[in-house]
Formats: sequence, C-alpha cells, structure tokens
Amino acid sequence: MLEQQNYLVELANNGQQALEKLSEHSIDIVLLDVMMPVMDGFETAPLIKQQAGDVYLPIIFITALEDHQSFEKCLEVGGDDFIHKPFDKIILSAKIKAHARTRRLSQEANRQKKELEYHYNQTEREHEIVEHIFSNALSQQQTFPKLCDFHLSPASMFNGDMFLMAQSPLGGFYCLLGDFTGHGLAAAVGALPASRIFYAMVAKGMSVSDIAYELNNALAELLPGHMFCAAAIMELSESGRSVSAWLGGLPDLYVIDKQGQLIKTLESQHMALGILEPDEFERNIVHFEVNENLRIVMATDGIVETESKQFSMFGEERLKLVLASKPNIGTEDIISQVHQFSGHSEQQDDLSIAIINCIANPLIINPEVSYSKLPFDFHVALNADQMKSNDPILELVNMLSTVEGVDNHRSNIFLLLSEAYNNALDHGVLGLDSEIKNQEDGFFTFYQMREAALTQLQDAQIEILANYEPENRQIRFTITDSGTGFLKSEQGTTSLSQEHGRGLGLLSEIAHSVSYNETGNCVELIYSLNNNPYIS
Amino acid sequence: MSLSKSASADGKTLTIQIKGKFDFNLVQSFRQAYAEVDGQTDKVIIDLRETDYMDSSALGMLLNMKKTLGESVSSITISNCRPQLKKILQISRFDKKFDID
Repeated sequence: MLEQQNYLVELANNGQQALEKLSEHSIDIVLLDVMMPVMDGFETAPLIKQQAGDVYLPIIFITALEDHQSFEKCLEVGGDDFIHKPFDKIILSAKIKAHARTRRLSQEANRQKKELEYHYNQTEREHEIVEHIFSNALSQQQTFPKLCDFHLSPASMFNGDMFLMAQSPLGGFYCLLGDFTGHGLAAAVGALPASRIFYAMVAKGMSVSDIAYELNNALAELLPGHMFCAAAIMELSESGRSVSAWLGGLPDLYVIDKQGQLIKTLESQHMALGILEPDEFERNIVHFEVNENLRIVMATDGIVETESKQFSMFGEERLKLVLASKPNIGTEDIISQVHQFSGHSEQQDDLSIAIINCIANPLIINPEVSYSKLPFDFHVALNADQMKSNDPILELVNMLSTVEGVDNHRSNIFLLLSEAYNNALDHGVLGLDSEIKNQEDGFFTFYQMREAALTQLQDAQIEILANYEPENRQIRFTITDSGTGFLKSEQGTTSLSQEHGRGLGLLSEIAHSVSYNETGNCVELIYSLNNNPYIS
Repeated sequence: MSLSKSASADGKTLTIQIKGKFDFNLVQSFRQAYAEVDGQTDKVIIDLRETDYMDSSALGMLLNMKKTLGESVSSITISNCRPQLKKILQISRFDKKFDID
C-alpha cells in the first residue's frame, strides 16, 4: 500500500532486525508493531530513538490493542503516534505526511545548529588569534612607571579602547588614549595601524598635531564611515614643564594637583579621529605650562558612564570627588571605587583611565660611538655661478656624515661650515658690511642686499677643504675665498645687542681652534670629535 | 627646510615649527610668521623638534622677533631643541632672553 504511494519501504520482522535496518538505510519514519518476536515494540522504540540522536525520527505504533493503558505505554516508550489495526489508508497516509514534515524541519534545524556551532568555534578561534596579535602589538611598549599610571581592563581592548605611550628621541613623553566606536573585533581592528603610526611618529619626535593628522588620515581611509576613534594625544616635554595636547571626542581631561584638587579642565576641541578628510582636519592643540606638582587625568567614557544598580551614572562630579579623596591617588584606587559604586565585583568591560605625572623625564643617551679608522677628505671649489644657484653646506655636511661616527656631530659641523662659508661669501666675495645689520630693520636689509649682490657676482671662488684625521679624531676645514679678506677685529664679539659677530663667537666655541691667514681670506677650523655632542 | 605655524585652540599660543635647517633662507617666511601676531596671542613657541641645523643667522632672526614682539607677548619659548642646538643657544646666552624648554 505504501509502495503504491511511492514510499520506499524496508521490512523488518522483529525489533532486532528493525535496528539493523535503521543503521543500514536512511529511514525517515518507523511504523512499529507492538507485538513482535525476539524484541517487541515497547522494547524497540526507546532504542530506535536513542539511535536517531538529535534528529526527530517519528515512530508510529501499529496496534490492535484498544485499552488506554497500551496507548499510554506507546507514548511512554517514545512513540509519537499510533494507528489501529486494521487501519484506514487515508489516516495512515495523513499521519505519515505530517510526521515526515516534522522530520524535515528537525533535520534542517539540526543542520543549522551544526553550522552555527562550527561558526561559533571558528569565531572563538579567531578571537584568540587576534587577542594574541593585539597583546603583542600593544603591550610590547615601554612602560614609564614614574610618569604614568594607567588602567586598561583586559576586555577593553576588544571594546576598542587603547592606551599607547612612548618617548621621543628628544625626551618628550607621549601618550594616546583612544576609544573606537562600537564593540568587539570590529572596534579593535583600528588599534593596530593606529599604534604603528603613533610609535613611528613619536620615534621621529613629531608634534602631537602632526601625529593626530596622520592618524586621522589613516583611520579615515581604513575605517567604514560609521566608525571612528575618540582620542586624546598628549606630549609632556622632557623638562616636564609644558604639555601639548590634541583632544578629539574624549570626555574632559583634568589637571589636578597632588591633593587631587582640580586645577584645570581640558575640553575636547575636535571631532574624533577618522571622520574628517585631510583638508578638513583641525590640527589645533591646547598648550599649557605644568610643574612637578601637577597630574593629568584622562579617561574614556566607560568610567563616567558606569551605572549603579539603581541605574544612576558614576558621572563627572563623582570622578572629581574620587580624585580628591586621597593624595596621589592611583588608577587602581579609582577603578575599585567605580566597582564599589556599580556594585559589581567582577571586571566591568571598558574602564580605561590614565594619570600622567608632570615630571621631567631626562633622556639617557649612550655616547659610545665608534669612529672610522680611515682618513677621508674632499676639496670643493665653487665658482660664481655655483654660489648663486647652490646652498652647498648641507650637501657637504651630508657627505661628511657618511664617515662612521661623524653623523652624531652633523649639527655642529653644519654650524661651522655655514658660518665660515657665509663669512667668505658675504664679506669676502660680496664685500657686504655687517654694520648694516645694526640699522633699523637692518637684518632684513642685509639679506636683501646679499641677494642683489649675489645676482651681480662674477669671477669669484670659494674653496672648501675638509680633512678627517682618524688618528687625532678631528676634522680640519680650510675655507678660502677670492676676496680681499675681512677684518679680523670682529672675531670674538658675542654681545647680544650687536647684530653681527655672533657667528664668529660661536665658531670659536664649537671649534677646537679657529685661525685666519694674514689677509683674512682663509680660515682654518679644527673640529674635535672627542666632544660629546649630546651634552649641552 | 620649511616653516609652519599654528595657533592653539584658544588662540593664545602661536607655534612656529621649523623643519630641516634654520638659516637665512627662512628670513622672509620667519618674519611673516610672527608679523600677524595679534592682541590675542600671548605666547610664542618656536618648536625646533624637527630642526636639524641652525647657524648664527637663525639667532639673528630670533632676536629680531624678540625685538619686534617686545612686550606684546608674555613669553617666547624655544622648545624641543636637540642637544647640539641647545648648546648653540646656550653659548649665545639665549637662555637669558628666551625661555628654552
């Protein structure tokens, strides 16, 4: 009868056989007789259900029994329906169709569940990997325990909070507190490129406005339109005396004293990073003087927005009170007070706060430098045309800087060559009088005259000789001009009120020795590389 | 070599930043940078963080600025000097006339 309706039918003579058939074939519906040899229907049904697992396998009992007790027993052992013998064709067909539908739904649900499980596991695994990358990328930074105390809850990273800090080659201490919009992985991805840019730019000693500008451009390009990063970027100078900060979209920063009394509130000035186009970006920073008694508090909105069980917010006023609750309060004290307020002992997800002590942060420089053992020299002779079109000093300095060890002295070498060359050019070759600089606005006039004289210049020469002497660890410069020589009396004038002669004073301080020939058209400078160029 | 200037958010601080070398090539643009200082500006910062080189002409330009601005600003700070440049400023006694940070 069932085969007539295009069902594929497998027959089993007893329960044992039925279980075997079930494992061999993919059976969708079981019609089960109660009375069977070897293993009867009541015994078989639970085993069939067990074998079917999570997917619904309908069992319809076929029974001649009429009593309620038997019906109950059928349901008890796992039967889903029953039909009486002799049975009605239409009723059986209807029942089979109904149960087949249910089975299909169950199969679908099971498939989806498995898929979901797979994706869940995959996400978990990816999170683990990303967390690993993050903690490596962000935690390898140097810490500055005396300067900066910060708290960033572990979950904060995936909520898009980041705190970065670094010291520049000039000694300035930089930090950045950022809060990406949104939650989860998406919020955190921006932290990787942002941290790269921050560290690279601090390593070059760039200003906070330049750092903010670069970060904004990178994030605007990278992040989708609805995502951005509220941030405060701060630089404390090496001396600990001044602070520059770019503030975009974070809650107010506080300047407090050691007692926690509020000295100054710094409000956000700009839109968050990653929103504006490069040409719309606002670089303006706040700049203020600080001293060793001051501290700067920066936090993301997680703290002020923490809710108590009564749904009131922690708020700015409470934060100010907490800051003043004890001298030199630490971030851990603040966090524990926030926890107390919220009534949760467990870590809340995005509590990020940093306190910066405005103290000096002297740069430690290792002056150990090794110097080339090979001698090196060059001879450059410039004619009038070359003097007009070139400003040769930097090029010569770069040339010398290729000698191992000399690079550290390049600022000093620039100064020496620049003074000597410009003296030779201005006074020797062009014959200009420095007295002009003493007149009203003379300084500017002087350079105008210089330019005019230079365009007229013909038949002139300046020779520059440089000689690196490895055995004496010094460089000897000889600069000769084709002029008639300038007055030696100017030498050594360092008076601040006089507008010229300062260069010569500098020459004699920076150089080991300065000597002129009789006519004053040739100067020899010796620069000693033994001076530590880093000690001022 | 270039010069850029920016005002702080409150308009009270003017920062002039010099990149590369600070010498007579900047005579005009440096003068222009502080020529527009108005009554609101209270403080000028010469930021030398990206300045690799300077010579006596730079010192002259700084003194000229000091003379021009006179008492109209409360302070002129030369900040973020590299050690060799700081030494040049100290040798020239600039620490007496400027705030060197």
